[in-house]
Amino acid sequence: MPTTITEPAADVVILGVGYMSGVIAAELSIASLNNNKNYKVVAITKGPYWDYVNDFSTTKYDEWGVGLGRKYDSPLPLQSTTIRNTPYQFALPVRRYTMPIQYHALGHGVGGAAQHYGGTMGRQGPWGYQMLLQTNTRYPGTIDTINPHNDLEDWPLQYYQYEPYYVQWENAHGLCGNYNGSIDNPGSDASGYPWMSQNYKLPPHPLTSAAQLFQSTVSSAPFNYHPFPHVNALASQPYVNSYGVPVNPCVYDGYCGGPCDYACETGAKANAAYRTIPAAMKSGNFTLVVNSFIFRLDTDPTSGLVTAARYYDPQGNVHIQPGTVFFNGMWGYNMIRIMLLSGVGAPYVWNSDPTLVSGTVGRGLTNGYSPFKGTNVSGTLSNIGGNAYPAGNAGGGSVDIYDLMDDNFDHTGLGFIGGSQIGVGGYPGGGPGNITFAGGVSSASMGPQFKPSQKDKYLQTKTIVSATPFAPDLPTKDNYVDLDPHYADIYGDPLARLTYDWTQNMYIGATYLANKVKDIFTKMGASNVTVSSTVSPGAAHNDWWGHHLRGGCRIGTAPASSVWDKWNQCWSPTVKTPFNIFGAGEITNTSGDTVPSGTHVAGPQSYRAAEGIKQYLGLMTPGLVP
Amino acid sequence: MPALRLSEKPKPIDLLQIQSRIPKPEELVVLSKPLLDATIIIGKALMDCENKWAVGGDVAEVISGVNVQPNHITILSTKDGCEEVARKLVKYQVEPPHDVESELARDAIVDLKPHKVRIKSYSSRFDVEGSQLNVHGNLRIKVGEWDWGDPLDFDPDYVYVLGVKMPIVPLKMKSELYSGLGWTDRAIKIHEAVMRSRHMFG
Repeated sequence: MPTTITEPAADVVILGVGYMSGVIAAELSIASLNNNKNYKVVAITKGPYWDYVNDFSTTKYDEWGVGLGRKYDSPLPLQSTTIRNTPYQFALPVRRYTMPIQYHALGHGVGGAAQHYGGTMGRQGPWGYQMLLQTNTRYPGTIDTINPHNDLEDWPLQYYQYEPYYVQWENAHGLCGNYNGSIDNPGSDASGYPWMSQNYKLPPHPLTSAAQLFQSTVSSAPFNYHPFPHVNALASQPYVNSYGVPVNPCVYDGYCGGPCDYACETGAKANAAYRTIPAAMKSGNFTLVVNSFIFRLDTDPTSGLVTAARYYDPQGNVHIQPGTVFFNGMWGYNMIRIMLLSGVGAPYVWNSDPTLVSGTVGRGLTNGYSPFKGTNVSGTLSNIGGNAYPAGNAGGGSVDIYDLMDDNFDHTGLGFIGGSQIGVGGYPGGGPGNITFAGGVSSASMGPQFKPSQKDKYLQTKTIVSATPFAPDLPTKDNYVDLDPHYADIYGDPLARLTYDWTQNMYIGATYLANKVKDIFTKMGASNVTVSSTVSPGAAHNDWWGHHLRGGCRIGTAPASSVWDKWNQCWSPTVKTPFNIFGAGEITNTSGDTVPSGTHVAGPQSYRAAEGIKQYLGLMTPGLVP
Repeated sequence: MPALRLSEKPKPIDLLQIQSRIPKPEELVVLSKPLLDATIIIGKALMDCENKWAVGGDVAEVISGVNVQPNHITILSTKDGCEEVARKLVKYQVEPPHDVESELARDAIVDLKPHKVRIKSYSSRFDVEGSQLNVHGNLRIKVGEWDWGDPLDFDPDYVYVLGVKMPIVPLKMKSELYSGLGWTDRAIKIHEAVMRSRHMFG
């Protein structure tokens, strides 16, 4: 018979244990020690603790279990989501990790989604923090045409204010690269504040032949772009992070292929479990609660403050975890859902008249990933060397440019804003599936053709270069998250419902950018350079959404349109005193360009939130930082 | 908006989970903040040393993932290297370089018999922001009544300590040294760390 258990009160209660929560755990546990306080930090996650040796070394090569059984992923029978394209449709639930609907699986357990991601990173530039201001200044009167029912909002801080937090986050997680945007590290804006005040702490992975060709091509006329090695979070060398945690290097220079499902067997792939959580656990002030499903936040009826988190353990017992301050680090729509279930914050209420929408929790949902139906450009390079080392996805070994991103070119009359990070030269191959003969043998390559076909597969004479660029997905008042009135999780609570369709800015930008990439591929000497059929805005409603959801629980400057303030602290219309719940994650990114990792952009927010919590608890003097 | 009514139907769930137990704090390998900070200071100061040097001792093992508990930093170098380190770290110097011979607290176990272990080196000591640093030039080891060994020499491995490329005494050499001294517990710790850093099938 399940019972209710009240746990000892904690000073900090962390909901979910992914990238951002790990920072809060480490920072608050250590700050407590340094201030001679005995503050207790508790973190609760629905999944297990993973040890990369015991759990991944021998079992990650189970392609069926990993790729199809999704044994490392968030179990959909436990909870899922529903999705529809417009508010007038009936939303259907995601029941399988497969196309369509949800190709990329969600994370589970300590480390969260970063246990099995591609490790791809890249800072968001200054323009991404002020998209609305910059657009209205340079292209006045165009934003409502570019983005019908526009709900774009700027961040509460500018890039230069987040930059020191970027450094902290990168140092903790051991990112690899060589500056961002340009190897000569120019000023990021007119003030001359550098793109990066410090370089990444680990060197980039070795460049592939295709990457080197791309680099030499785009850095010379007529392009004169500024290529730089792809930034990623797969340790290229042995590393010790800012918390003193040693990190093993990647033994494959980027073996993270397939649909981001392959966990790392040496802990080289950065995530909270192997970077920040060890530091928190070592402090002695930290308690990790696993396999426990948070289903509600209790609030005080008078003050409105959050008083406790309720969760189920695997036996069905209900635990009540009281706390002083709470950090919501749950992934994506789960961060929104727990607030909607608990009555924390003002829920977003859609209206067919965009002037009549209200609320913030669930508002401004965007997608940071390329649409399923996009505009692709590809070509074939001959005899440039390289082999089909069975790795890829993370882009280790590739080269990027930001020159076709942000407002780095004139958008007058183009009908879109922003652009795309263009990267070329990731390792060919596709992860463990590429090792097998079965994946490479067809009837046409059997018999006498077998050996030549295998040789060409691993020692390639031809290399395919490909890109699907797109401009940023912009927040509108019609894309949002709320609670589904029809479908429930395993415990009977309503699922999160995503109302989402790709916005026209992405598609219009894609057509323009694909032709720019076509010029680059042609100059590189590629043959058969082809741009696929362009997709018109609204012509294809995608029944698929990516794993980089952003903005449904966004930070901002105004309580009427955002959930979190500049400290990533929740503002609430009902709480008069400073609210005791903070949050950070990719879903709190207000807006941004198409840098591949909203995770990297979310990272600085976690350190910002940590400072906010320290101030709240008296571990840090308020007013030291703006 | 009021919270939704709490579910009245909590129930056990039966979902297969692959998982490991949560490690205890003492099982986690973390270099303490004072030693981390001092290591970085030293690494930056010695970045352009002309003589061979490398971090040795327990710090070298921790930053390679070996679960030991260092209380000071050790550097191995040559005699000239010891002089050079002394010049570059002069503001932290506690004891200038000079010949030192001492006996280790732990005996070697060879053929099941204990033997005293002595070391001698051209040595100096420093206090780097509160952390002790011992520098040994031409370190030699003598076990029991055997002859003194040759000065330790090696090609260092490298670890990026918060971005500072730090030469360290190779774990392979340390493992062989421990095995020779009969300190199998230390050799096993190194073996465990190496196994955690390698591809299982490679």
